[in-house]
Amino acid sequence: MNSVNDRSRDIGEFVPAPDDDMLICRCEEITKGEIRRAVHDGMWTMTEIRRYLRTGMGLCQGQTCARLVKGIVAKELGISPAELEPATSRAPMRPTEMRILAKEAQD
Amino acid sequence: MKRYDLIIVGAGPSGLSAAIEAAKRGLEVVVFDENEKPGGQLFKQIHKFFGSKEHKAKIRGFKIGEDLLKEADAAGVKVVLNATVCGMYQDKEITVRINDEMHHYKGDTIIIATGASENMVTFPGWTLPGVIGAGAAQTMMNLHGVKPGSKILMLGSGNVGLVVSFQLIQCGCEVVALVDAAPRVGGYGVHAAKVARTGVPFYLSHTIVKAEGEDHVTGVTIAEVDSSFKFIPGTEKHFDVDTICLAVGLSPMSQLLKMAGCKMEDNPKRGGQVPICDEYGRTSIPGVFVAGDVSGIEEASSAMIEGRMAGIAAAEYLGYIEKEELDSKLEELDAALDGLRQGMFAPKNRGQMIEKTDEGIDISTNLLKKGYVADDEIERFPGVTRAKGIHPVIECTQNIPCNPCQDSCPKKCIKIGANITALPAIDPEATCVGCGMCVASCSGQAIFLVDETYEEGYASITMPYEFLPLPEVGDKGIALGRSGQKVCEAEVVNVRTSPAFDKTHLLTMKVPVEFVMKARFFKKEV
Amino acid sequence: MSNAADVVIIGGGIIGCSIAYYLAKKGTSVIVLEGSDHIGNGGSSRNGGGVRQSGRDPRELPLVMYGIKNLWPTLSEELEVDCEYHQDGNLRLGKTEKHKQILEGLTERAVKVGLDVRMIDGDEVRKINPYLSEEVTCASWCPTDGHANPLTTTLGYYKMARRLGVRFITGEKVTELKKVKGKLRKVITENNVYEGDTIVVAAGYQSRKIVETVGIDIPMTQNMIECLVTEAEPHMFDQMLGTAEADFYGHQTKHGSFVFGGTSGFEGVNKDNGTPICNSMTASCECRGIMKYFPALADAKIVRTWSGWVDMMVDGVPVLGNVPEVPGLVLAAGFCGHGFGIAPGAAYNIAELITTGTTPVDISALRYDRFKTKI
Repeated sequence: MNSVNDRSRDIGEFVPAPDDDMLICRCEEITKGEIRRAVHDGMWTMTEIRRYLRTGMGLCQGQTCARLVKGIVAKELGISPAELEPATSRAPMRPTEMRILAKEAQD
Repeated sequence: MKRYDLIIVGAGPSGLSAAIEAAKRGLEVVVFDENEKPGGQLFKQIHKFFGSKEHKAKIRGFKIGEDLLKEADAAGVKVVLNATVCGMYQDKEITVRINDEMHHYKGDTIIIATGASENMVTFPGWTLPGVIGAGAAQTMMNLHGVKPGSKILMLGSGNVGLVVSFQLIQCGCEVVALVDAAPRVGGYGVHAAKVARTGVPFYLSHTIVKAEGEDHVTGVTIAEVDSSFKFIPGTEKHFDVDTICLAVGLSPMSQLLKMAGCKMEDNPKRGGQVPICDEYGRTSIPGVFVAGDVSGIEEASSAMIEGRMAGIAAAEYLGYIEKEELDSKLEELDAALDGLRQGMFAPKNRGQMIEKTDEGIDISTNLLKKGYVADDEIERFPGVTRAKGIHPVIECTQNIPCNPCQDSCPKKCIKIGANITALPAIDPEATCVGCGMCVASCSGQAIFLVDETYEEGYASITMPYEFLPLPEVGDKGIALGRSGQKVCEAEVVNVRTSPAFDKTHLLTMKVPVEFVMKARFFKKEV
Repeated sequence: MSNAADVVIIGGGIIGCSIAYYLAKKGTSVIVLEGSDHIGNGGSSRNGGGVRQSGRDPRELPLVMYGIKNLWPTLSEELEVDCEYHQDGNLRLGKTEKHKQILEGLTERAVKVGLDVRMIDGDEVRKINPYLSEEVTCASWCPTDGHANPLTTTLGYYKMARRLGVRFITGEKVTELKKVKGKLRKVITENNVYEGDTIVVAAGYQSRKIVETVGIDIPMTQNMIECLVTEAEPHMFDQMLGTAEADFYGHQTKHGSFVFGGTSGFEGVNKDNGTPICNSMTASCECRGIMKYFPALADAKIVRTWSGWVDMMVDGVPVLGNVPEVPGLVLAAGFCGHGFGIAPGAAYNIAELITTGTTPVDISALRYDRFKTKI
């Protein structure tokens, strides 16, 4: 879904908000303020936010916060959440011990 | 590597339904589920389902789950539990963790029926222990027998919020308030009414300002919001609670599809990130299908039909049936699905303000704002009539797809007609014998038997009652109105229990006759 | 907004972003065009985070040594982001006599270029990292090697370059380069035309297709490799690790998780579906590889696996520098899967080349026209 996205577009200044210290990604302990600041640092896609801040990279892999982060990023950019790309999904679906991943059944 | 005709991920209502249809047509089917028990969310649904007979209406969810499992077993479906599908790869290959090993399997077709997970909303304190999903509360209560808390505030007035609130009360919790930022109750009015009449206050156009507490929830503050969902200063209300339940929607668990390269979209109407698929669950990868909440949030009854569709579509994809059989079966299922997707709460009406019923009656504004129909509104609905002797009063005021009451009456007192979303009406020609079958049949617990000539100066009111301990004949207490406020003194005069009532007890109280159309719940004096 | 700048950079990975940053610092106007929707979407955000000199080809070694000496130590302060740079050494592990021979060869060549690297035995290895199994019998040890966080470093370069006025445009796929009056000038995309006095092609494997439009070939192919990451674990060690067998590499991050990359033997033939996608067997293979060296990690939980393409040059080192037959064209591509640690050094030198015509490090061995047939 490539679409031209000029990162010089003016999205306004970062304005501090009273709930900036509220946790959004609980696995990685990332706050709303950090997410909003990252948008102003140029992180305009869910992928960039995730890589920059680690939101959604913890144990739950974004199952809880992906929707919340998306809402915050979209609001900061002044766009609809649906305009942001779907979250990335990666195996394994559940955290899996190395010794178990290593042991492939022969059936 | 073992290869199956059909691999299904998720043994919930849609996955099992798909498995049954495919296996019946000769496919070798395996269903993997990461849980120790099959059935998905069905086994925590202790309430009776809506719908028509074909949709298994008035049957409790867990019973539907048991029936599905029996049917799957008879059809030769292999259900593998404690089996976590970890990844989905190219060439329709999956990896499954079973015990301490990773297994690789391929399917000529795969149906993803992984369901959904609960959404969260943020407010200061939302990460405190004690803030939990309503579905999580339901799992604790109904699967594990654990009481989630003592004093609970519920956020969300959709069906999940309403049903779980009721179950929390059944479990012995005190639900201090039911709160929703929306200006109107989101779920079925009958679900709201059965919660409201027990005394739970509804706060619409309100949401949580903050959860309070140091290391766990000890309180919560809510406040009213304006039409742009901004808090109105000065409207704050505080409650001492130890638990806050969030029932703010579900998100499809579509990760396996995404990682396998299915084309996805973010579709708010379907609940979030979903695969792009046709109405029978075919995704962008040939041979990969979806069914149930993972393809768009609905509820268990439609998930079961979607599952059947996907199972049949998989059978046709692999040549086990001809195109003609597929088309005729799909047509049949389409009609069933269409039946469920009718009425005020149909997906097509989501977000719309409906002011009148199909019959042209004004919807109760109190019901939408406070969770109960006001005394001066109730008599305009066709199920609510006055008559001599015992007779049903059906407080069913919204067009929802449900009709078990019509068939339940041996005397044919109740008329709905062919259109199952029509409001039930009383046939004045038929004579009620007071058997109570209609009371027990109503999934919305909206039917009462009323006898204004019970005794000199007293009326009897028979209500559905699903709480323990069960009051006994002679118990004295108070009658609560639809709003949950005390209306008068009351005394239990009869308690009926019967296998035909399927665990819904029929409690009859007597009240002064002037309160016959006001009193709707019994509370024992302590 | 004008579509012309002093320099147009094609590719918004760490190479493109860091060149943009060093150019902008010198007052050069820059436009960066990224074909995908995200900055740093290729190998830049998918690698194992090695900032290593040992084990490298002597032709590219001076560039990475330059970066480690002059740029990496202060990069976090400079980019105002935690690059998580650790300079705690690199152990390249061996278990067999054959491994030892491989490591000795690499060590000997690096020492010649002036790198502080030496062979050590198994006991010394376990003094440095007590978690390694008894199977490890030797290693090359380079104390000035290390690791960093590729995600924050890449996006940190982007953030600072953007702050300095570099115009970044994502979702802008380049289809053609065009000369104007004998000099490369135009960059044609699916949607627009951009112009620059200098055009830098830093688009990984895509570079080959792009420079083909001005008659240049970069002899490379594409491999798909995978990485995995564990949940956060208590701190164990700070070294960067690799093996002579090249079966795995990685480190423990500041976060506590272990990031490991590895190979399954299918790198050259792994198929994708338009985007890098993991092979069903690779993660298991990597885990088996890792556990032979680190039995203590057997219970560490893998939370995520991912894959990425590597642009493999025919001779294992990148093409870097001017293309005299296409004046205005600068190449910075083909980093062969070890482009992260070298990026600051390579980018700084390219920025110098563009602005001054010379480079602090001799990069002539990486010229685009170095390729010869075997006979």
